[in-house]
Amino acid sequence: MSFRNSVVIVASPRPRVGKTLLARLLTDFQRHENRTVAAFDVNSGERGLIQFLPEQTVAATIRDVNGQMALFDRLVAGDDTTKIVDLGHDSYESFVGLAHQIDFVEEARRRSIAVALLFMVTPDQTSVAAYRSLRERFAQALLVPVHNEILGSSQHRDKYPVAGGGAVSMRMPVLAPGLRKYIDTPPFSFAGPDMSNAVGIPLDAHIELQRWLRRIYLEFREIDLRLLLADLQTSMRSSGL
Amino acid sequence: MARPAVILVGADKGGVGKTTVARTLIDYFGAHQTPTRAFDTESPRGTLKRFHPELTEVVDVTSVSDQMKIFDTLGSADAKVTVIDVRAGLLSSTLQALTEIGFLESAKKGQITFAVFHILGPSIASLEEIAETARVVGDANYFLVKNFVNNTTFFEWDPATYNSYFKKIKGAEEITIPKLNEMAYEQVEVASVPFVSFVGNKGAKGEAANYSFVLRGYVRHWLGNVWGEYDKVKLVDLVSPKMESNVRQVAG
Repeated sequence: MSFRNSVVIVASPRPRVGKTLLARLLTDFQRHENRTVAAFDVNSGERGLIQFLPEQTVAATIRDVNGQMALFDRLVAGDDTTKIVDLGHDSYESFVGLAHQIDFVEEARRRSIAVALLFMVTPDQTSVAAYRSLRERFAQALLVPVHNEILGSSQHRDKYPVAGGGAVSMRMPVLAPGLRKYIDTPPFSFAGPDMSNAVGIPLDAHIELQRWLRRIYLEFREIDLRLLLADLQTSMRSSGL
Repeated sequence: MARPAVILVGADKGGVGKTTVARTLIDYFGAHQTPTRAFDTESPRGTLKRFHPELTEVVDVTSVSDQMKIFDTLGSADAKVTVIDVRAGLLSSTLQALTEIGFLESAKKGQITFAVFHILGPSIASLEEIAETARVVGDANYFLVKNFVNNTTFFEWDPATYNSYFKKIKGAEEITIPKLNEMAYEQVEVASVPFVSFVGNKGAKGEAANYSFVLRGYVRHWLGNVWGEYDKVKLVDLVSPKMESNVRQVAG
């Protein structure tokens, strides 16, 4: 198992909590690391991920069996590709229910594919219950609570205990006011020339963006490490060490 | 020597899913390492044999020679359980024949374990079948199977009417076969393999196959629920009282 064969699902039952931004960052991080990446936009409404990453992203649906097959059969394909799923709030329940029913995480593990669930933390009861349910249903996955600081300083850590082989949480630092306009207007890529050449971005804004991005990439590397650690523990257990 | 068990799967109507239920039974006993053989009475060509060719023999249950083939070998066959998929319209007459050859009497004396899986159809005629079957079935283990696998809507029956028929059979138990996603069901049909082989991504000869993971997941989930129904009525204990039950791992 490695991140060449991993599935990272960005999820929350709540809208507008930063899922698509995180999915964009994850996808661009894989590109930055020269990994093959495929992204899946599972939103029934606005498809933000495709707007920003049209070449890497496919629109996915789970409303019918054909759509379910197109998505999940691809997710469990061992093709040395990191897969990022931007799971819209309106598809959350049906996705999680289906994944549980068809034993998605277990099948992925059988095929040496690591699954990480990045859950956007919010203080509401719906999200807390959804997180608890994920822990119960997908005990084999790496479940990472993501604290998006733009949603407030409270971390709700007591409501979102870390779970999974590597046990880690993630922080999404706040982007300085005034910089959102650069990253929220497609086409924009964190891995493309916009960032590397600072095209159309003032120098001070570019420096601040780079600093923010470095902090986030550091968090992603931590998750990579935890995935590897979980994998190592599994391998050692299975070989009786 | 262990007492042989015979399970009759039938209905007087066609298209109610008899063969599907028989297939799940064969898979279930297979998962419990219970040697099983099957007879498909859709002579000359049987659907059950298509899915379980090595375990199944096609017979004409109305012919004496084939009746001998089934019942005279109960004690000597390697298989502990015999599943008979009775062709549409032959359930009552088969039960009648079993009475005449003394089979039901042997079951009554405890020499043979006998169970009837009566698959219910969508019409009121099915309810009348229950009454008719009840007269002959005697002390057999009687299971009324509501089969939703193809989304049949017959459970709009008036519960009071249904219960009045249901209660006519002493000790009858109810089994519900849930619906299976149409595409998943169709793909298993196309593959012509047992449900467990489909779940395990195997072809007819045990070779690796490439079925959709999603469809396999649907089948796995559905089969688990069906087997849960069989566990609920303690089917393994019925045919083999000391057998250990650890069926889920095989389904997974």
